[in-house]
Amino acid sequence: MSRLLIAASKEQLQPVIRELYRRNIFHIEDFVDQKEEAYEGFKIGMPLSGAASVSSEVLRVRSVASSAGIDAASIEPAARVPAGTLRSRIDNELPGIEKEIQSLNAEKTKLDTTLREYGQKIHDLEPFAAAPLPMELYRGYERFYVFAGHIPADVALSVPHEKFFTDKVPGNFLVAIVPLEAKDDVERTLLDARFQAVAIPEETGHPADRIAWYTTEITRLTAEIDKLSGRLAAQKEAHSAFLVACDELLTAEVEQTEVPLRFATTDEAFVAEGWVPSEDVPGLIEALRQATGGKIFVSETEIDYDRDAVPVEYDNPSFSRPTEVLMDVYARPRYREIDPTLMVSLVFPVFFGLILGDVGYGLVLLAMSIGLRKIMKGDAAGRLFDTLRNASISSIFFGILYSEFLGFALPWSPVIFSRHLQIGGHGGGHGPQVAELMIMSVWIGILHITLGRILGMANARRLYHGSHATKVMMANAGWLATMWGLLFIVWSFFALPLMPDMTAFPVIAAGFNATAVLGAVFVVAGVVAIARENVLEVVELPTILSHLLSYARIVAVGLSSVAIAMVVNFIAIGMLIEPQLETLSPLGVIIIIAGLVVFLLGHVLNTGLGLLGGGLHSIRLHYVEFFTKFYKGGGLKYHPFGMKRRFTED
Amino acid sequence: MAVETMTVEVAEASAMGLKAIGAGLAVGLTGIATGIAEMGIGAAAVGATAENKDMFGLALLFTVIPETIVIFGLVVALLLLF
Repeated sequence: MSRLLIAASKEQLQPVIRELYRRNIFHIEDFVDQKEEAYEGFKIGMPLSGAASVSSEVLRVRSVASSAGIDAASIEPAARVPAGTLRSRIDNELPGIEKEIQSLNAEKTKLDTTLREYGQKIHDLEPFAAAPLPMELYRGYERFYVFAGHIPADVALSVPHEKFFTDKVPGNFLVAIVPLEAKDDVERTLLDARFQAVAIPEETGHPADRIAWYTTEITRLTAEIDKLSGRLAAQKEAHSAFLVACDELLTAEVEQTEVPLRFATTDEAFVAEGWVPSEDVPGLIEALRQATGGKIFVSETEIDYDRDAVPVEYDNPSFSRPTEVLMDVYARPRYREIDPTLMVSLVFPVFFGLILGDVGYGLVLLAMSIGLRKIMKGDAAGRLFDTLRNASISSIFFGILYSEFLGFALPWSPVIFSRHLQIGGHGGGHGPQVAELMIMSVWIGILHITLGRILGMANARRLYHGSHATKVMMANAGWLATMWGLLFIVWSFFALPLMPDMTAFPVIAAGFNATAVLGAVFVVAGVVAIARENVLEVVELPTILSHLLSYARIVAVGLSSVAIAMVVNFIAIGMLIEPQLETLSPLGVIIIIAGLVVFLLGHVLNTGLGLLGGGLHSIRLHYVEFFTKFYKGGGLKYHPFGMKRRFTED
Repeated sequence: MAVETMTVEVAEASAMGLKAIGAGLAVGLTGIATGIAEMGIGAAAVGATAENKDMFGLALLFTVIPETIVIFGLVVALLLLF
């Protein structure tokens, strides 16, 4: 990245902004009025003329697009529209489209409300349909009071009355007409019998007829709403390409008219500071000169890495680019820091494959990632599926080495250590080599952590200066020395498979042989180096052990996935299908189908678990065990001023 | 007396059984411990993600940190059984 300072008179503001926007490489550093000496007399700039009207236009376009349910991300860009023709179409066609879509929407909302109202009316009328009275007889009395409502059982009233009761409707229904002076008595009696009054609808005519009328109305309204939805969909179909293009053009205009707010200006001139990838600097300077007819001053200023927030853009081979998504989840690297993306993109699939080493699951995940990659839109999702694709290829590779296919053994014996468990007589061979696998995973941990610490030393040199840098480097070396020293001591006392055997060396002092003494010296020197950087770090020493053992998850999670697969196979085939195949009977066929269902469900579940386990644990080993050794992160994302145009062109 | 009927086979079988119980306890208890540890983290992580979707990656990372406990349990169980 290079830091550029652009200065010109205010007449050049518009051409400069247009050129910067078109190039889409200039990361603007916002001008903040902090009364700095170098910027005395500068003020934050004002938006270009016309900013207000363009922003209100963009709001209108977006409201139309959202009321028609148009989403730019889901639209495949067709031919690009030139900005000039689009501009005139905005003035001519947009108001018409806006009016059409809004009136359709308003009408639809109105009908929807009426539809809901009628539904409620039917609901209110339903209990009255059981009583043989037209609705006008329920009200309009001066000397009588009408009770209507639900009641658990019929009651006898002690005053003169007219009463109707039915138990044909849910909750039963009771209508009682009593003289007004007896209202209180009757109400008490009814409430004692747990009477629940319902409101009497303001209707005339027989309730059943009214319900029938409302039902036909609802059918008619539904048809009308469907018609409106169809017209709305047709509008959306016809205008979505135009509307997203409008949105893009106007958004670009808004961004351009408002960008002076990020520049420093005086009455006559403006200054813009920002970052440009170093290789693009000469091209940009030349373009700006041409756009302004040479009336511009552009200079590259010096970078102060401790004070300036240098924006960071990844620079990785295309193979590693998908993995940048996993890096951004943790933190973007700082500008001068080592970018571990390449290492993650190589090691992550290996860990994934070691955990979920199964040809069957690998093929399923491979098909899934390629399929979903085609369906899903969006950059981040696409990269995630590319990462999954690489991981599943590695899973197939390790599946061949482990000789596993959905928990079954492939026709050859495992090339590396066997993970075949003895479940239900399957597997065969000599069973799983758990101890060897465990030690292999610890070896992976030793190497991974050693790499992390070496990178930590390199990073210290890049990020810090003078004695601080030396201290941090020494501390990283100290951690390495402590870890390897402890390993030497362990190897001197215990002969472990697959690890160097140092027990044979002659004892020198206090039961320690030569290598153990060497290890002890390493440990002491290492602890001293760690303490010199920060004494409190010494309490972190146990993490050496816990981080190393944490790599055992590669085997543990993998074996549990193998175990689930084998158990599923045993239940489905060994217990359900095979015994039935010997003597076929009608019941047996059903059991065989049940077995197939168990087989399918079990493996779907295990694929999900394997994806989750393999993915999460591999990335966790990177984030927690690997990155904590060297990686700081927290770099500023490179966000150039401009836009990747999809629907329009200048 | 039960002790007199204990043949070598029975002793071996019960030793195997005790190993299996030990393995089960190792996975089960560490699983409970992980669950308790993830309870608080998970609740906070969901809250943070609801406030800010960018937190999702970090929230997920924090939530799986106590997973190590149950992994150690699984490792011990595997070493016991094989």
